[in-house]
Amino acid sequence: MFAFWIAAAALSAVVGWLMLNGARAATRFAGDDPTLAVHRRQLDEIDDLAARGLLPESEVRSARAEAGRRLLAAADTATAPESAAGRRLVLAAALIAPLLAAGAYVTVGAPGLKDQPFAARLAEWRSGDLERLDMPRLAAILRAITVERPNDAEAYYKLASVELGQGDPVAAGSALRRAVSIAPERADLWALLGESFVVQAEGRVDNDAKAAFSEALKRDATNVSARYFLSRAEIQDGRVAEGLAGWRALLTALPSAAPSEQAVRAALTAEIAAVEKAGALPTTTPAPAPQPGVPDDAAIRGMVDGLAARLETQPDDPEGWVRLVRAWAVLGETGKRDAARDRARTLFKDNPQVLQALDQAAEAPR
Amino acid sequence: MTAELGAFALALALALSIGQTALGLFGARRPALAGAASGASLGAFLCVTAAFAALMVAFVTSDFSVANVAANSNTAKPMLYKVAGAWGSHEGSMLLWCMALTGYGAAVAAFGRDLPLALRSRVIGVQGVLGVMFLAYTVFASNPLARLLDPPVEGRSLNPLLQDPALVLHPPFLYLGYVGFSVVFSFAVAALIGGRIDAAWARWVRPWTLAAWSMLTVGITLGSFWAYYELGWGGWWFWDPVENASFMPWLIGTALLHSAVVTEKRGALSGWTLFLALAAFTFSMLGAFLVRSGVLTSVHAFAVDPTRGALLLAILGAASGAGFALFAWRAPALQPGGLFAPVSRESLIVLNNIILTAATATVLLGTLYPLIREAMDGEAVSVGPPYFNLTFTPLMAVAFLILPFGPLTAWKRGDLGAAGQRLMLAAAAAIIFALATFALVSPRKALAAAGVALGFWLVFGALAEVAERTRAFRAPAAEVWRRLVGLPRGAWGMTLAHLGLGLFTLGAVFETAWKIEAAEALSLGGRIEVGAYSLTLDSVRTGEGPNYIAERGHVTVTHGGRVICEARPERRFYPTGKQTTSEVALCNRGLDQIYIVLGERRAGEGGRPAWLVRGYFNPWVQLIFLGPLLMAVGGLVSLSDRRLRLAAGRKAA
Repeated sequence: MFAFWIAAAALSAVVGWLMLNGARAATRFAGDDPTLAVHRRQLDEIDDLAARGLLPESEVRSARAEAGRRLLAAADTATAPESAAGRRLVLAAALIAPLLAAGAYVTVGAPGLKDQPFAARLAEWRSGDLERLDMPRLAAILRAITVERPNDAEAYYKLASVELGQGDPVAAGSALRRAVSIAPERADLWALLGESFVVQAEGRVDNDAKAAFSEALKRDATNVSARYFLSRAEIQDGRVAEGLAGWRALLTALPSAAPSEQAVRAALTAEIAAVEKAGALPTTTPAPAPQPGVPDDAAIRGMVDGLAARLETQPDDPEGWVRLVRAWAVLGETGKRDAARDRARTLFKDNPQVLQALDQAAEAPR
Repeated sequence: MTAELGAFALALALALSIGQTALGLFGARRPALAGAASGASLGAFLCVTAAFAALMVAFVTSDFSVANVAANSNTAKPMLYKVAGAWGSHEGSMLLWCMALTGYGAAVAAFGRDLPLALRSRVIGVQGVLGVMFLAYTVFASNPLARLLDPPVEGRSLNPLLQDPALVLHPPFLYLGYVGFSVVFSFAVAALIGGRIDAAWARWVRPWTLAAWSMLTVGITLGSFWAYYELGWGGWWFWDPVENASFMPWLIGTALLHSAVVTEKRGALSGWTLFLALAAFTFSMLGAFLVRSGVLTSVHAFAVDPTRGALLLAILGAASGAGFALFAWRAPALQPGGLFAPVSRESLIVLNNIILTAATATVLLGTLYPLIREAMDGEAVSVGPPYFNLTFTPLMAVAFLILPFGPLTAWKRGDLGAAGQRLMLAAAAAIIFALATFALVSPRKALAAAGVALGFWLVFGALAEVAERTRAFRAPAAEVWRRLVGLPRGAWGMTLAHLGLGLFTLGAVFETAWKIEAAEALSLGGRIEVGAYSLTLDSVRTGEGPNYIAERGHVTVTHGGRVICEARPERRFYPTGKQTTSEVALCNRGLDQIYIVLGERRAGEGGRPAWLVRGYFNPWVQLIFLGPLLMAVGGLVSLSDRRLRLAAGRKAA
């Protein structure tokens, strides 16, 4: 703060000196009228052009006469400027200007607010408690780590998880493309890349996603995420029986120890039931079901948090709300589930289809 | 501290401009006050430069606590565009505008020692008035250094269309041009206050006009070149209101450049020259208003904020209103200058001025009419190229037809017959080239061939004038050489500018009349024919840039079975703003260009992916950009003429 006002005063002093110096120099040179010089020069140029043969003889005389007349006219009107000293006025102006500036600055500026270059903020976040950072800050730190360690696939993987968590599948996708180019043997990287494509395509398993999941299965035939989505793709493409068979096989293969996997099992069971009933993928469930250990429990919650945050800013998304309600239901967060459902109910109170879908989602088995 | 110091410096610049105004306007007869006004104008420039440097530091270090940085930059952006981000937004570009404005004021203070005290003092004072208005607007309504107490983690990004090298340079040049006319405006107002407008005044105004005009020419050309290769539509001028906004001050500036010569050489047309000097900056301000008020939608329309627009309109109204009111009051008392006959160089320049002004009026009407209609009855009408082709183009054709006569006609009383005789060869050559074009270039187009004749007429007319002045083909070689070397730089500047105009005309006519376009969805290995050229899509790979994901196409261009170019057009996706841009690939063939755009991916035959590939064959298109650059070079050569160099005058005197 102190340094700022010193610097401001120094700048004011420099410009004050410029004004005083200008005034002093001007009084020294005052007196001659340069207008006459211009007219004299014009006469010289006419002679010069004539001497070089660039001006015909006939024109030289009339041009000279005319320029001469202008010179005389200018000499008549030229008045020598009086050299009155306004030194005191100048001094006053040089003093008032900084005060005026300070007044204007205080109304629009933020005195004392420090610069906050990104590098310094990043260092501060990294030195603090990482647990308490929000997703965007975590992503920024991980991005910096990937720049420092460009050959660390795990860093890209973590970055991608967080990017997916904060609802940026495109950024996640580019991090994962780097990751699979560094460690192409890791099935989990390929599977997460596939998921980022699914999120980008708003729930559809597109060709890019299929390719990525196939790469994952080549390396690890038991990869849950890849198996789930490739089966889902079959259902989506109309091969419902094959897809359901894939899901049922997956259900029996799922380990059943951790509570989060029980939730997955329940969600998958429900989804199978829904598809069996409808004969196709229900239109209101475009989101991927949460995956066991992929990326991990915190990241799943991160994804849901990201969805919730997005809906806060862009609430006009009935499918998103249905997804959110189902996600909270599956995760066992009944409080959040009910809050989201109530919010969505008021938003879409005129749309019975959405209301029905919301109720179905809230009853998703745990 | 940097950002806050910058904000203080900006406020100090405003205070200094107030001082500069008062001291300058009252200092016309008091050297001490006038000198202090000069000092204040240097100080104001110093302060705005400091503020600009502070903003640039904030952009380079990604300081998102500065609101403007948070809104227009992010950490993934390449360094060049972080730097350019400083003038890529509304607030930043207003700061650049103010920097140019105070810079020109400081330049008058620094280089204007040869001006009479009263004139210099008033010019600096009036420049101060403009500075006060624009700086107050920037400080209070568009502060680029406003801070955020809770800065976001990441910034939003600059519009990816603007992340382009040509666009890094385009605004600085454009602003040096736009704002350069502010000096001319100040000279006009100062002269009206003083009541003295003579040949000397015109000579002092001319270098500033030349500088501003040359910069504006470069700025518009860069903008046009950018539109040509970045938008991917194959065109280079769209008669878009924003383009027109920069073109109108250019047209008026061109008229001013010519009428100022008459005032300088003959003391005539002084009222008209004053009028144009006031009008040029008025059109510059109109452009600033149109772009920033939200009345237009385009990449240029930064501020979609009616309040800011209204403030700019108020500045425009106050500045030009005062200027023109003063003109109406004082101009009738101006002393008439030298007389001239109906056939003389003066008359031809008057004709040039009338045409250029009429052309400006047609552009103004075409630009404002849709806006007025929309404001009156809410109906969106679009005034497109057909309107301008029917109004602007014929006017210009007439101007081009008479142009070569100008330099070959004497001042005061000329002889058109004699000038015509000297231009016989040029006319004959132009007609021969046009006939050859009509006969040889297919498809046959008579109107375009006439356009070609006009282009060659300008080119050969400019050369004929040099030949005449040096007595080429009539005097011995040594004599011709002596005369050629002895030609003043002002004459060379004129020749280059007229030559550039001719080349531009040729390029524009050829490109418009004989452009070939083809588009098709191609799978890998697919081929389209564009005229005599054949384009094969060899591969498309996905890659990543610093802040975008790209599909990079590889297109082989062949002509008669021979590979002439390996083009790499790109389609980029910028995740930050979720925008897609195309990077056009250009293959140069002499003056022609093959222009290739990689479009969106779609499903092709048999489910294979296909890409929409568009190819253009643009004949002589390079002349469209080289011509105006030659004109700008002409302006600068003319500016370097020793007659205009003010310091040289002091020595001579």
